[in-house]
Amino acid sequence: MKRYFYMSLLAFIAFVAVTAQEVEYEEYDLDNGLHVILHQDNTAPVITTAVMYHVGGKDRTEGRTGFAHFFEHLLFEGTENIETGSWREIVSSRGGIFNANTSQDRTYYYVILPSNNLQLGLWMESERMLHPIIDQKGVDTQQEVVKEEKRLRVDNSPYGQLLTVLGKSLFKVHPYKDPNIGYMEDLDAATLEDVIAYNKKYYVPNNAVLIVAGDIDITETKKMVSDYFADIPRGEDVVRNYPKETPITAEEEVTTYDPNIQIPLGGIAYRIPGFRDRDAYVLNMISTYLSDGKSSKLYKKIVDEQKQGLQVGAINLDQEDYGMYLVYALPVGETSLDVLVSEMEEEISKVRSELISENDYQKLQNKFENNFVSSNSSIEGITNSLARNYLLYGDTELINKEIDIYRSITREEIQAVANKYLNTNQRVILNYLPKENIDN
Amino acid sequence: MKKLYFTITIALMAITLNAQVDRSVTPQPGPAPEINLNDPERFELPNGLKVLVVENHKLPRVSIQLTLDNPPVAEGDKAGVSILTGSLLGNGSKTISKDDFNEEVDFLGARINFGFQSAFASSLSKYFPRILELMADAAINPNFTQEEFDKEKAKLITALKSEEKDVSAIASRVQNALAYGVNHPNGEFATEETVNNVTMADIERFYRELFVPTNAYLVVIGDVKIDEVKELVSKNFDDWVKASPPSLGYSDPLDVQYTQINFVDVPNAVQSEVTVENLVNLKMKDEDYLSAKITNFILGGASVSRLEQNLREDKAFTYYSRSRLGDNKYGATTFKAFTSVRNIVTDSAIVELLREIDKIITDPISEEELEIAKSVYVGSFVLALEKPSTIARYALNIETEGLPADFYKTYLERINAITVEDVQKAAQKYFQIKNARIVVAGKGSDVIESLEKIPFNGRMLPVNYYDKYAKAVEKPKYDIVLPEGVNVQSVLDAYFEAIGGKTAVDKIQSLKLVYEGSAMGSSIKTEEKRTADKYVQTTFMNDAPMMGVIAKGDELFMKQGGNKVPLPPEMQQDMKSTIGIFPEQGIALSNKAKLTGTEDVDGKAAYKIEVPGSTVKATYFYDVESGLKVKEATVITMNGQSQNQEVNYKDYQEVDGIKFPSVRVGSMGPQMIETKLLEAVINVEVSEEDFN
Repeated sequence: MKRYFYMSLLAFIAFVAVTAQEVEYEEYDLDNGLHVILHQDNTAPVITTAVMYHVGGKDRTEGRTGFAHFFEHLLFEGTENIETGSWREIVSSRGGIFNANTSQDRTYYYVILPSNNLQLGLWMESERMLHPIIDQKGVDTQQEVVKEEKRLRVDNSPYGQLLTVLGKSLFKVHPYKDPNIGYMEDLDAATLEDVIAYNKKYYVPNNAVLIVAGDIDITETKKMVSDYFADIPRGEDVVRNYPKETPITAEEEVTTYDPNIQIPLGGIAYRIPGFRDRDAYVLNMISTYLSDGKSSKLYKKIVDEQKQGLQVGAINLDQEDYGMYLVYALPVGETSLDVLVSEMEEEISKVRSELISENDYQKLQNKFENNFVSSNSSIEGITNSLARNYLLYGDTELINKEIDIYRSITREEIQAVANKYLNTNQRVILNYLPKENIDN
Repeated sequence: MKKLYFTITIALMAITLNAQVDRSVTPQPGPAPEINLNDPERFELPNGLKVLVVENHKLPRVSIQLTLDNPPVAEGDKAGVSILTGSLLGNGSKTISKDDFNEEVDFLGARINFGFQSAFASSLSKYFPRILELMADAAINPNFTQEEFDKEKAKLITALKSEEKDVSAIASRVQNALAYGVNHPNGEFATEETVNNVTMADIERFYRELFVPTNAYLVVIGDVKIDEVKELVSKNFDDWVKASPPSLGYSDPLDVQYTQINFVDVPNAVQSEVTVENLVNLKMKDEDYLSAKITNFILGGASVSRLEQNLREDKAFTYYSRSRLGDNKYGATTFKAFTSVRNIVTDSAIVELLREIDKIITDPISEEELEIAKSVYVGSFVLALEKPSTIARYALNIETEGLPADFYKTYLERINAITVEDVQKAAQKYFQIKNARIVVAGKGSDVIESLEKIPFNGRMLPVNYYDKYAKAVEKPKYDIVLPEGVNVQSVLDAYFEAIGGKTAVDKIQSLKLVYEGSAMGSSIKTEEKRTADKYVQTTFMNDAPMMGVIAKGDELFMKQGGNKVPLPPEMQQDMKSTIGIFPEQGIALSNKAKLTGTEDVDGKAAYKIEVPGSTVKATYFYDVESGLKVKEATVITMNGQSQNQEVNYKDYQEVDGIKFPSVRVGSMGPQMIETKLLEAVINVEVSEEDFN
């Protein structure tokens, strides 16, 4: 019964092509270098306007870490035509929601509004790009807010320092070595002059992409985009020339303490290529193979059968210049981190030494197909993908083609990539331990 | 006037058709978009399972949600049985082993998850028949084994351990336990002990009694056809035996008699979790449901709301502050206003939370605030239409909450009808300023003292202490473990030694220190002159004297422009002990100073000397290693308001044989201001003039 089922299923998959709907869009450049992408979907009376700037935590000078994220806060303060502190109120009073987030590589602002407010969304984003008000008062207030955010998300939060430790361990010279949120002393040290110069350098139309998606009319929208964005002056070209890391060739071990945890975390970290590299896609597949789903290798062995781990995971923390690849586990009971590390390594070494099974390969393909369909399920998701694909991956069409990359990856390639990046002499062993005996 | 301007703008636009848009005018919304609310398809099986289907063919995928809408049950000394039942469900069925089940779900690229009263599955629509079959089989014929039970138990205990230091987990556990009582389903919590009490038989009984179809709803959304769903659901769920869950009553919890602080000591906390809470009775079908929700929104429902505007945007105490007003068709739920703030402003945050709650109860809100709140509700209603799950959720609410069938069709109309008076009525009904609990989880050694001094309605807020499991305890004592022989005197001696030696210090007759920095675009300079019994400090902004403080003999006054303002005598008394060339000389002479332990300053251990006072409380920190003073923290309490000031001292540098900090970093309101030593003059000439 069982066997019969599998066989028919495999046959079925072989003959059914994916039917994921194509995401249609139109893209063009304004004269000032702003790239514009429009996606029309009139199902619900909702629009999203979003701007992604190619500036992130890594774009800073020494001693001024955390600037991009700090800026994300500052750029909600106000503009020459939007009174300071009224940003939230304006969006809310039209029933919209907005947010922004900053990674090491980019900053993303978006607002979702009922579709009769398209013009408002474009006006606000263009105001932010053209003439934000950056003054000492805003700097002072947001410095404190960001520091509270750091306390909340990093200092007071269990495993909150994990990313910081990974960055520090895997990078010596590239800006990825410092945390995206920055160091307290650098945040304190930011002066108004620094901040204004930063704005001038990075928040320019030629370093950004504008997405308008949802219940729009293409012709009308193009006109509005031109009305609000065409007169924003072009900035200097942004040049990035960050130091290159020399490859890790001998195993390192890092131990760190977190006062907010009770259960340690054992990790194996690797430095891998940036997300545009084909190998990064292959590594995504390896993560899924190792730890996604209850039948995945690491979960099944460490959590389920051997009961050594409470949780296990393999993640590609992908970034533009280099990625951070982490395989980790949280022990159950008395299991030592050493044991966890050798159990994890055993599975990783199998990926290096053997081809994964045909059945597992097909499973991976099915999972990526499912993820691909789901990633285009909301306008918000489509907007983010369009922006990222254009600005960071250099190919908007990936929104429809990304699945082809995964389809073209072979079992042999998976093995080859594991051999290229996931060797024991290329790894950093991470002991992330509870901190005991605090004062009082 | 405004209208006129507007007409002119329009006229101009008409003439110069291609002119640029006028950026100074906020674009107005276009005509309101049309709203379509379709009803999902609905059918019911003979065993009572109700099925809602929303067809949506945009993407080739489907989701299936099973919800059991059963009344809450208390688990008592076996708390955790529900969590364990949830973890044991979805491990295959009586006929499919766990491994085969997991392998197949993964192979299809699908997901199936179970809770103890729910299940969820999603997949590409081409696998819908099989995923539905697997989910139904796992739900109706669960595969409970002793081996899995032992494993899940061990995992749950480890997970509970992992939360032992998690400030927010501790805070929310204590909030609920105190609000409802630990015997109430909403107030109880699992511990290692209660989890150990659970047996395999308990799991089976719990499942048998509660996992029944009477109150069950199955919601199918996606690329499916209603006829196919009818056929497949009948086929897979008909075997589910008809039964109803037990119905148990619980005594209603009560609010506290008077507003009080309930403190939980969490020594590792770098932020305090502060929550003001009271019980409420609110159901979706209540007449004032929407106005109650709008009221909570105005207070703290979002970032535009009052709490966040005050505590984040205005005071910069926190990253967020919100409030939540629950609703529950079965009885009591809570209203909570909460924030996470840095330790030093814990007391101020409480004051602000109470102030905001009191204000919305006492004063009518403005029309503008109401309009914004309504817009947000209208907007989020419209925005939600993007998701096919919304239609299903609305239909489910109508059934489970006993709402009129047109609840959502008249939603916008009813939102728009809410008045300022409705909001005030709701605030008075649902927010209890006089019977509130203020649950604080934070670092006791840093915050307790200031918590005991929060005035409220003419007296101090009482503070009760609880442990991490909501049990009442004595006020914690902070044992000071200090090396033998270390006391106030030895710390001060070490300090004098570090800055140049007692002999050299004693030779100084007078001292002038000038520090300079910038804030808010202006240069800030402070000049300090000290003799053995006199003190003057003047602050200059852009070289103009802004404010001065002068102390001599029994006088203490502030100087602003030409005016002298005497400060209260209590303050003068408090300041007395810090007069001297170095405040340490005064501290050494006074008998009020206490060495209260050590604390990290910038990552290094420092001795902490406290000098108490009725209005001014000062704490001095001396680096254990170097002996140098690294920080001063002052709390000034006047007219029921407290103000905190902190100064950190860095990079000592020698001037004429005495070391002075070359950098001072001080707090001024929410801002930190760094000033640098410009001038240090020993035995400078001072005259009586200087102190007038």
